[in-house]
Amino acid sequence: MKIVIVTLLFLFSLIGGLFSQVAVIAHKSVPVDEIKKTELLDFYSGDIKKWSDGSNVIVKDLKPKGDVKRIFYKFLGKTPSRMKSIWLKSMLSGEGDPPEAMKSEEEMLQKIAATPGAIGFLSHTKVNNNVKTLIVIGKK
Amino acid sequence: MCFLYLVAGEDNQIPFFRIIKMTLKRTLILCFLLLAIASAGAQSEENPLRIFGYFQNSLQQWTAFQERPKQNSFSLQQLNLLFQKDLGPSWTAFVNFEFLNNFSSSRQWGSFNLEEAWVKYRASMRFNLKLGLLVPIFNNLHEIKNRTPLLPYIIRPLAYETSFSEFILIEVLTPVRAFAQAYGFFPAGEAKFDYAVYVGNSPNISNDPSRGQTGVDTTATFLFGGRLGLRYGDLKLGLSATYDKDNSAEDLADALKIARPELSAIPKIRFGGDLSYNFANFSFESEFIKVSLEKDAPKLERNLDFYYATLGYHFTEALFLYGSYWLLDSHAALPALPNEIKEEENDDIKVVTFGASYNMLDRVRLKVQFARIRLDEEELQLQPEMMVRRTEDDFSVFALAISVTF
Repeated sequence: MKIVIVTLLFLFSLIGGLFSQVAVIAHKSVPVDEIKKTELLDFYSGDIKKWSDGSNVIVKDLKPKGDVKRIFYKFLGKTPSRMKSIWLKSMLSGEGDPPEAMKSEEEMLQKIAATPGAIGFLSHTKVNNNVKTLIVIGKK
Repeated sequence: MCFLYLVAGEDNQIPFFRIIKMTLKRTLILCFLLLAIASAGAQSEENPLRIFGYFQNSLQQWTAFQERPKQNSFSLQQLNLLFQKDLGPSWTAFVNFEFLNNFSSSRQWGSFNLEEAWVKYRASMRFNLKLGLLVPIFNNLHEIKNRTPLLPYIIRPLAYETSFSEFILIEVLTPVRAFAQAYGFFPAGEAKFDYAVYVGNSPNISNDPSRGQTGVDTTATFLFGGRLGLRYGDLKLGLSATYDKDNSAEDLADALKIARPELSAIPKIRFGGDLSYNFANFSFESEFIKVSLEKDAPKLERNLDFYYATLGYHFTEALFLYGSYWLLDSHAALPALPNEIKEEENDDIKVVTFGASYNMLDRVRLKVQFARIRLDEEELQLQPEMMVRRTEDDFSVFALAISVTF
């Protein structure tokens, strides 16, 4: 019986993972309506620090480890530890600070909605009209 | 009555109202100063001065070599204190103090250096300008050579091991400082073309107070250098070069009984190349550095070649294993007058090393490293008769370390 339950839980988690969708969201003031993977990586790696209108890009990270974070960084082609290493290099070289890490997806949503130039990510199901969705990662 | 006068002297009595006036005046000045400080504090809340840094503590065991017996030692290899402040939307100031080898001025241990103090203007990704004392962009590892938390090594590839600077010519191998640098990148599809150009002092820095100000270049020459690079996904490669003129051989002139200017301003050229690539859980990085000082009449040569290659594997997100090979080859041929001894020296240091690093926390990294080092020294006496002296030695280093960012 235990084996059946464990197998079912494993399958549900796999299916859950397959159906998870992550939305990349930004403050409504940002001058774009969509974003490419390479641009997103440039923002998160700190290579590009300004939007096309000259306003500052304020990148937000998610603290809890989980599917949302895993899917987002897999999309960028970097592991979370690789990204942390890039941010640490940037910080220790005086080139920029690591992004602020949000404690929850709810905090992410509130901060992005309240901070001009901010960009972050969370589960697609949690997006509301207070932010702009730039891209949705993962298939339905 | 004595309460109404401040007695500074019998003939110099100050009335009470003057004391009140002076006190009020001083209080107002103090209030003004406090307001100014509070105002500055409020401003600094918007762009606070950030103080952070990192250190690496190690335990190293060296087996015996040459005349040195086996030794074990704990060491605070390096501690860096960093100060950063954003001065405006595009301006940043940065200061880096570095303490090496258990630094203690009273005990005359190690060294304390002002490594960096610069202000940066960021116009765009295509153009950044740094002005002030800075570590110029050369090869890939040069950029982060002193950022121990970023490196899996305890003992870094020899050209970058600052704590060995007392016996390896680190400042000859790499350009350690410049004073103005422009850099940036140009995107082209998914590729990025990096560039950096800089200018600094040639290595002719005075440390003799009797000649005037120390720490300044005593010649009219400069260091010029730069790097061109390409980044494409997880591939990064680049070519670097510097040019300056070196006066360090001048001291030989007296011994060789020739005029000092004959051994001054010797052109020194450095070339560097770097390649790094990540694929799946593997990472590969390698570099070369070639330094050459050459002068005819009298003939003087000094060449340094350095190579390293590291293959690593991310066993897990936190655990990284690697193996690396380093080679430092140096050749020196000194000038000689007829009928005097002429010598050439060829020295090799070869290192095979293995290690691992483990991120206990985001900012705490444990490291372990084993290195097998081979020293080959060869002295050739060419005049008046040919003689060769060779010495060879092998030794091992085992090291444990903790690297902390705070």
